[in-house]
Amino acid sequence: MNCTEAKASLTAYVDRETDWLHAHALRRHLLKCTHCAAEHDALVALRARLQSEVPRFSAPEALRSRVRATLDAARGASPARVGGTPGRWNWFTGGALAGGMALALTWFVGTAVFDWRTNEDIAVEAVNAHVRATLGNHLIQVASSDQHTVKPWLSARLDYSPPVPDLAEQGFPLTGARIDYVARRPVATLVYRFRNHTIDVYVHPETSRASPPPLRTVRGFNVAHATGGGTDWLAVSDVSTDVLTAFVERLAATRGTKD
Amino acid sequence: MNLMPFEQRILPHLDAAYNLARWLARDANDADDIVQEACVRALRYMKSLESGDARAWFLTIVRNAFYDWIARNRPAEVVHDDGTILDATEDPAATDPQDAVIRNAEMRGLAQAVADLPLQFREVLVLRELEGLSYKEIARVTDVPVGTVMSRLARARGLLRRSPLLRAIGAQRAGSQ
Repeated sequence: MNCTEAKASLTAYVDRETDWLHAHALRRHLLKCTHCAAEHDALVALRARLQSEVPRFSAPEALRSRVRATLDAARGASPARVGGTPGRWNWFTGGALAGGMALALTWFVGTAVFDWRTNEDIAVEAVNAHVRATLGNHLIQVASSDQHTVKPWLSARLDYSPPVPDLAEQGFPLTGARIDYVARRPVATLVYRFRNHTIDVYVHPETSRASPPPLRTVRGFNVAHATGGGTDWLAVSDVSTDVLTAFVERLAATRGTKD
Repeated sequence: MNLMPFEQRILPHLDAAYNLARWLARDANDADDIVQEACVRALRYMKSLESGDARAWFLTIVRNAFYDWIARNRPAEVVHDDGTILDATEDPAATDPQDAVIRNAEMRGLAQAVADLPLQFREVLVLRELEGLSYKEIARVTDVPVGTVMSRLARARGLLRRSPLLRAIGAQRAGSQ
């Protein structure tokens, strides 16, 4: 790779939007070329300043009220909302709601049994498991940064042996693991850290169905998915989407080399 | 009308919508109006939101609402961001330092430099750095190819690095040390 090519791909590289081969070629160029290395460092520094100095505005309460008023208007003359005849109508809509939820639950359980990956709501279940674990203070059942301690502990409790990659050098130290129950299956959950964030990774042998989307946001948590070496990796965290995406892709790529 | 999909899939992204509108319009009240309008449109088109990414879908509507709004209220800005004039803004001198100092009272340094970026560069930068969208998602929201997203981001960052506002601050920092 020469300087012209390097300069053209630096932007995508700092955004982690280059493929593995391209990134590798660029890294080799940066080791040799001080000019391009300085350009790279300046871009990284600018991004760091943007993240810390440029505010992300939150919707003000007045706007939220306005939007809620719009929703109420859109509900139209729904009797439950207008509230003229409270008793009977509320009971009726309550019943309809419960019925709807029961139906949704039946549908959900049905599809979840079928295959854990066909259901897009696997991401929702993973976030629920993540939140439960954080709230209930049982984030970690086996506390160890050593993959050779964590892996046998998980293998002894599951019907598969999950890979446990070591990504400490990349800034993601392993802190431990636990078993979660996701989509009616026990699943290995690896717990990594990135700066002050916890990242839960649900590790599962790959199945043949269509993949969930690579990235989703569920109730403020980012959920990233990748597949590699016969394994499905689903990461849940509040770190930024690009960090999380890069992280699962690293996980998917390390399978086989560290195992 | 069933509002459950809207409440569950769109409302969680109200902050993202507001942040984008606020950086595009550069005014809090105008951002309110744009997001409100975008919500009305999103409600109307809810059926076209399949299982895909609700955030990118909603941000696309916010952006369209902004462009319709600005065409009505500040048509000069749209003309100003025409592709041919963009090249002229690459010149750092295009930002009048005197003007910048006055606005600095409201917003300082890098944030002001971002606010001063031409619209087409500002929107990709905000979607990337503040909302953390991927190139593919930004391409979808701004309706341009991924390659264009990348070149606009590169130019946005280039403009920021050359911004006199940023250099002034860098000099102040160097001086105070």
